[in-house]
Amino acid sequence: MASIAMNKPGATVLLMGNEAVARGAIEAGIGVAAAYPGSPSSEVLTTIAGVAKQMKIHAEWSVNEKVAMEVAGGASFAGIRSFCAMKQNGANVAADFLVNANMTGVGDAGMVVFISDDPGGMTSNNEEDSRTITKWLDNPLLEPSSAQEAKEMIKWAYEVSEAVNLVTFVRGVTRISYTKSNVMLGELPEKKEKKAFFPDLWDMYNPKKSKFTSGPFPIFHKPLHEKLEKAREIFERSTFNQYMGPEHPELLIITCGACTSYCTEAVDELKAGERVGILKLGTTWPLPEKLVAKHLSTTKTVLFVEEIDPFVERNVMELAASLLPATCDLTFYGKRSGHLAPYNEQSTNLVIDALVDILGTTYQARDLTYDEEAKKAIQIVPDRPINMCAGCPHRATFWAVKKALQLDGRKGFVCGDIGCYAMGFTAPGFFQSRTMHAMGSGAGVANGLGNLRQFGFDQPVIAMTGDSTFYHAVLPALVNGVYNNSSFILLILDNSATAMTGFQPHPGTGLLATGDPAKVVDMEAVCRAMGADVRVCDPFDLEDTTKALLSMIKKDGGTRVIIMRHMCQLVKARRKITNKYRMHVDKERCLGDTCGCDNLCTRILGCPGLMVDREISKAAIDEALCVGCGLCADICPSSAIIREEAI
Amino acid sequence: MSNYRKGARELFEEVIDQGLCTGCGACVTACPYIVAYEGRIVVLDKCTIADGHCYQHCPRTHTDMNAVSEKIFGVPYDDGEVGHALDIHMVKSKDAEIKEKGQDGGTVTTLLALALEEEMIDVAVCTKMDEEKIARGYLARTRAELLECAGSSYEASFALEAYRSIPKENTEKVAIVGLGCQVEALGKIKSDPAKNRANPDNIKLTLGLFCGWALRPDIFHPYLKGLCDPSQAVKFDIPHTPHYTFDVYTKSDTKSVSLDDIRPYINLACQYCWDMTAEFSDISLGSAGSRFPGWNTVIVRTKTGSDLVKLAKAKGILETQALPGQRLAHLKTVALKRKKTAFKNITDKTGDKKDLLYVGGLSEGIADKLSEG
Amino acid sequence: MSRRRLRKEPFNLIISGVGGQGNVLLSAFVGAALLNEGFMVSVADTFGVSQRGGSVTSHIKISKKTLYSSVTLDGKADVILGMEPVETLRALGEFGNPHVVVIVNPRPIYPSGGATYPDLDKVKRAITKLSSKTKFVNATEEALKMGNPIYTNIILLGSLVGANVLPITKETMMPILKERFPGKLLEENIKAFGKGMELIAKA
Repeated sequence: MASIAMNKPGATVLLMGNEAVARGAIEAGIGVAAAYPGSPSSEVLTTIAGVAKQMKIHAEWSVNEKVAMEVAGGASFAGIRSFCAMKQNGANVAADFLVNANMTGVGDAGMVVFISDDPGGMTSNNEEDSRTITKWLDNPLLEPSSAQEAKEMIKWAYEVSEAVNLVTFVRGVTRISYTKSNVMLGELPEKKEKKAFFPDLWDMYNPKKSKFTSGPFPIFHKPLHEKLEKAREIFERSTFNQYMGPEHPELLIITCGACTSYCTEAVDELKAGERVGILKLGTTWPLPEKLVAKHLSTTKTVLFVEEIDPFVERNVMELAASLLPATCDLTFYGKRSGHLAPYNEQSTNLVIDALVDILGTTYQARDLTYDEEAKKAIQIVPDRPINMCAGCPHRATFWAVKKALQLDGRKGFVCGDIGCYAMGFTAPGFFQSRTMHAMGSGAGVANGLGNLRQFGFDQPVIAMTGDSTFYHAVLPALVNGVYNNSSFILLILDNSATAMTGFQPHPGTGLLATGDPAKVVDMEAVCRAMGADVRVCDPFDLEDTTKALLSMIKKDGGTRVIIMRHMCQLVKARRKITNKYRMHVDKERCLGDTCGCDNLCTRILGCPGLMVDREISKAAIDEALCVGCGLCADICPSSAIIREEAI
Repeated sequence: MSNYRKGARELFEEVIDQGLCTGCGACVTACPYIVAYEGRIVVLDKCTIADGHCYQHCPRTHTDMNAVSEKIFGVPYDDGEVGHALDIHMVKSKDAEIKEKGQDGGTVTTLLALALEEEMIDVAVCTKMDEEKIARGYLARTRAELLECAGSSYEASFALEAYRSIPKENTEKVAIVGLGCQVEALGKIKSDPAKNRANPDNIKLTLGLFCGWALRPDIFHPYLKGLCDPSQAVKFDIPHTPHYTFDVYTKSDTKSVSLDDIRPYINLACQYCWDMTAEFSDISLGSAGSRFPGWNTVIVRTKTGSDLVKLAKAKGILETQALPGQRLAHLKTVALKRKKTAFKNITDKTGDKKDLLYVGGLSEGIADKLSEG
Repeated sequence: MSRRRLRKEPFNLIISGVGGQGNVLLSAFVGAALLNEGFMVSVADTFGVSQRGGSVTSHIKISKKTLYSSVTLDGKADVILGMEPVETLRALGEFGNPHVVVIVNPRPIYPSGGATYPDLDKVKRAITKLSSKTKFVNATEEALKMGNPIYTNIILLGSLVGANVLPITKETMMPILKERFPGKLLEENIKAFGKGMELIAKA
């Protein structure tokens, strides 16, 4: 595809929602963009960073979302339009800054935050609805229904931000972020050489002027609510709020975001266009109350369609309550009525189901006989659980951890964290992880467990973290461990990338978001400087790694660190680094299904590159998937898997 | 018997977690998931297979004593004091080199050396103490290697681990030296061979050792380290005189401690042991007591055993002597007492006089006999 | 707006496979080609953790008049390009109908952790039963013959274009391949694409 920064207004290109968001920020003339990677939002900053130099933007991967938000805040304070992107969890990390930033307001230049939520938790371990945060923070919120609209909204969000002097949020969801569709480009901003300057506006008793020290809060809190009312006025006139349908619909659907197209499709499928109207809200907080009240007065029945929490549903019902008795005849359907669920993704089919029930109509997706046959046929389809890639160093790490903990025998366990190694609580990680919460929580929880000696706790605790997570939120937990003499081992899985979210660089990689060289923040030196006992292992030296782990586990007491260093297989592939080995199975030696009663390598190790040759019930290498890491040769009890040095 | 066919999970639930594991080593390397480490059985993976050899071959899971006896001796199980026996007498080695290194009479080493020399066997599965004096199974193929195994560690040794390491295609003739639990496991292995291991019919000779109890290496070793540097220890002994001591001979001196100090390190699983005299062997051997220093009591149980003892005698490397009636009576009393103690401990655990945990297929009325005073 | 004819409004293409097989690249190529032909397209892929060896599905909705939502409605697929047999069957179960066209690479990828994979012939029979317009293309096999399984997806792209079920042609596709692959790689990928067209013509 041509560059995201191409100056062809009116041209139509195929853009992923995240790319459209990036283009929107570029068209808005941002000077600073900061983010921490997290699916489904990661590609936004990657895209901006790719053209940062050309567009004179400072684009950075910050170490975490709070810092990213503060980086953007600093720029805005000095008069530079700034932008932040993150996944839903990031909003929590950044919330403490935001709750105070709302007291002070932004600078002369606007600040926009794009948060992509993940209904169904397809790429998250929760499905938090970040819109609620904007409500309790008192920030304006926009929700795009397509990639095109996402781009336009980002641009407009700067106008809102500057008009009301507040950080403005744009909320995406996975389906918006990750769907590619036609997007018509707008104009790129004039190149203007704006000097950044931090204005000295210190006047404690004149809160009308922007100033950047929060408090005393009663002075600032009242104007915050006034700002929000101003945003509401702006939203009443916004063309991002649209109505499609008859003047007096039998049923009014109120929807927003990705659900908009589910609603239009569902109405089309049911040919119910004359009965049903759709009010699509692009500005969801503060609610454009006059607009909504006007539409409520046109109908007797309302269905809310939105993703995750009943956010709009509750806000509209709260409004309806304030409009009584005018609204006393209204019947509301949605999550509260059970027609749609307050969890998981929505879809056209789910909306069809709700409409069929409410309208009392029928719908047949496909031929009934075919439907029965299809349902019967897929009974033989096996589950396909997610797995670590062939050649993934985490598989070797978990194997060593499992062995060391079992040999130690004191029922040690792993406190897991967020990243590919989050699979540690499932079969690919041999079920080793026992806790998993927020970024950095593995080390944090281990801190707590590691100080329970006086209560008779003697189980070894291993906290796991990825390299990127280490810089994000593990550093404070490590300091805490050393300082409070907590007994645990911190295992840093250093695979040279933020692998799960798409290989973004981090402070340990020596690369910036733009690809330029950076100072390496040496994690080993950092840990040593903190006073931790540090070892470095290559997990593919399985025996040495297991021994090192076991000796660290037995050392008991104090915070110990092992860095498991081996490059992510996918990064190797991107950099055209091939592994040393070509693997094959000695069929004579392989015990097949009598090995450990049944295939240790395929059943337990579970590398995608291994399979069972069913003709002879022996292990075999899947040439299409094996990358030659050699791990299986080390674990085969019969020495039947052979590594040959590849040429 | 299908309800007795279970897997690793039940092995742990019913045996190891219940404190019944004798440390015989039968499950170790039965599959790649089970290993011996610092005197413990460790399962590396939560195996979910419903029917595993680790469970079937464990001497503390249900054992049909009659089936095993039929397999070894061709007759049903003799639930008398010392099991199936052709002859009981005393023997003493005349091999000076072996006598110097061995425990009591050195008979075991003498018999194995002869079996190797006569090519009756190719390899002997013995116990050898490593540098740290942890007893491990060991495959001895020469007289010199056999001599390295002489001497007792008083620890359960996982010796069968070494047997399990013999690969499937191996056809060597094997002798195995083991305790009661270990020869029982061998009987079960022979009755239900594993497809992925060497044919157990290659086991041509089984020498059983009398056993009253064994130390648990995982807890005894830390204690031993407090006593001396284990790498400096050369021999362990419980001498006939003076009574009641455990002696550790090191390169420089001898540490003698009261047996009472050692008792806490005895494997509690031994209290459920039914078999003092290693009943499923070709030949069982033990000390003949303080009045006969250097002599072993020998129970010859099979023709194989009988032929070997006769040959040793004919070759002049073994003396034999009748076992005095009083010693025989004493042996039977002690062996019966062991069965009664085991019966009480087992039935206390199960709460059912008919449920003897692993001891299955006994004759009617055995419970009454064992319940007596 | 496109001058080419679209057989149905919207026209739904599904690409199903296993994470790591390259379905994202494949759907991006198809999407780009459709855009160049003047269609409104929405392409939805599976991203993030689900990519790691799990089932992945790309939905491509093609229209002459509007942008549709990203996910195909139950039972409404017009073409399923299956990169793996049981994944093809899985997609048919959800999105199949009596008119659906199926192009499938019959090389299995076994699920990890010992889950049993059904008998391949049984899977193939189930697929043909649910789609009388099924064509098998031994893409992985051909890719391995070319020396790298990585060509599997481009071979399948050739087959998809060669099957004449989408309003795109080899001529639409070539500039897109040229933009994506440099020098020697381009040559190999054009070869793979041609192989795919050849295989579908024979299938």
